[in-house]
Amino acid sequence: MRVLEAQNAVLTNVEVYTFLQNQAKEYQAQKRRGPSNLETLRGEVINYFETYPGPLSQKPLPYDVNAIPELLKKLKAYNISKGECIMIMNLRPTGTVVLNAVLEDMEGRFTEQQQEEIVNIITEVLGAFPEEEEAAEEGEEDAMETT
Amino acid sequence: MFILTKIADLVQIPPSQFEQHSRVAIENNINAKYSNRVIQKIGLCICMYDLLWASEGLIGHGNGLVNVNVEFRMIVFRPFKGETLFGMISSANADGIKIRTNFFEEIFVSYKELPENTEYDHNEKAWVWVVDEDRMHYDKNEMVRFQVLDEAWNDQLPDSGGQEALDRARSVSPYALKGSMFKEGLGVCLWW
Repeated sequence: MRVLEAQNAVLTNVEVYTFLQNQAKEYQAQKRRGPSNLETLRGEVINYFETYPGPLSQKPLPYDVNAIPELLKKLKAYNISKGECIMIMNLRPTGTVVLNAVLEDMEGRFTEQQQEEIVNIITEVLGAFPEEEEAAEEGEEDAMETT
Repeated sequence: MFILTKIADLVQIPPSQFEQHSRVAIENNINAKYSNRVIQKIGLCICMYDLLWASEGLIGHGNGLVNVNVEFRMIVFRPFKGETLFGMISSANADGIKIRTNFFEEIFVSYKELPENTEYDHNEKAWVWVVDEDRMHYDKNEMVRFQVLDEAWNDQLPDSGGQEALDRARSVSPYALKGSMFKEGLGVCLWW
């Protein structure tokens, strides 16, 4: 084995997820199974992506690979680094506190208004969990339990 | 979290796999060799992404294996330093918190990398962040956000040929991550 190029490209989670899903479908259609180490690992990685609160746990999928160029274009004005954009794609911070965990020195670089704008762009392009609905559902469950 | 690494290798296809299409036989051989394995200083290999080039197959003397030189790209798990990821708390002790993902288990957050006013509860075997009057637990199986601080590599080479040395070398994980949950927004997902 010889490594020709350690890092040829960086992939976001949605790209890896799409690739693995397609591979699983393709294998199934061709009635073939990959080596067992691959089959096991593929299942584990897909499960990881589909774990709440990961954005890919939302069904139907809130965004696909086409969202990547759109997000980059809309965030261009804010001077966000490539690594930070990848984390935004993967973690989808839909509030400023979580955004702080993704952007370095957020408070030094962006005003509160800008932080809000960034969060709005993220929600617009990548979607968000339907918060109110969920809270309402939980409320209903609680009500049912108490009655 | 994931990168593509370009690799060149020699694939040997045994006669029992000759009825498969070459493309399938090559992919299966590559995945059987790399998938779920760590390459030092590269990361944890997931699976082949694409086959860039393959030579003509050459039959070796004496064993009938078809030798094919290939170049391909591999999907590799290799979070960069400073990257924030999702993980799940797998256990805790007085030194800190162990975190895992579904496919990678070697992540450790030292107690020094937890927010101020965090203390270890020996009865519950969990760290607790005390904010004013509230006691917020880092419970087992809780989903967290953590930031990658550093990585550790161990090539698992035994220092002698003995079984004991072999076992000792294998007991250390080939690739481990050190994380932090200090910054605001990190830690248990439910909090934020």
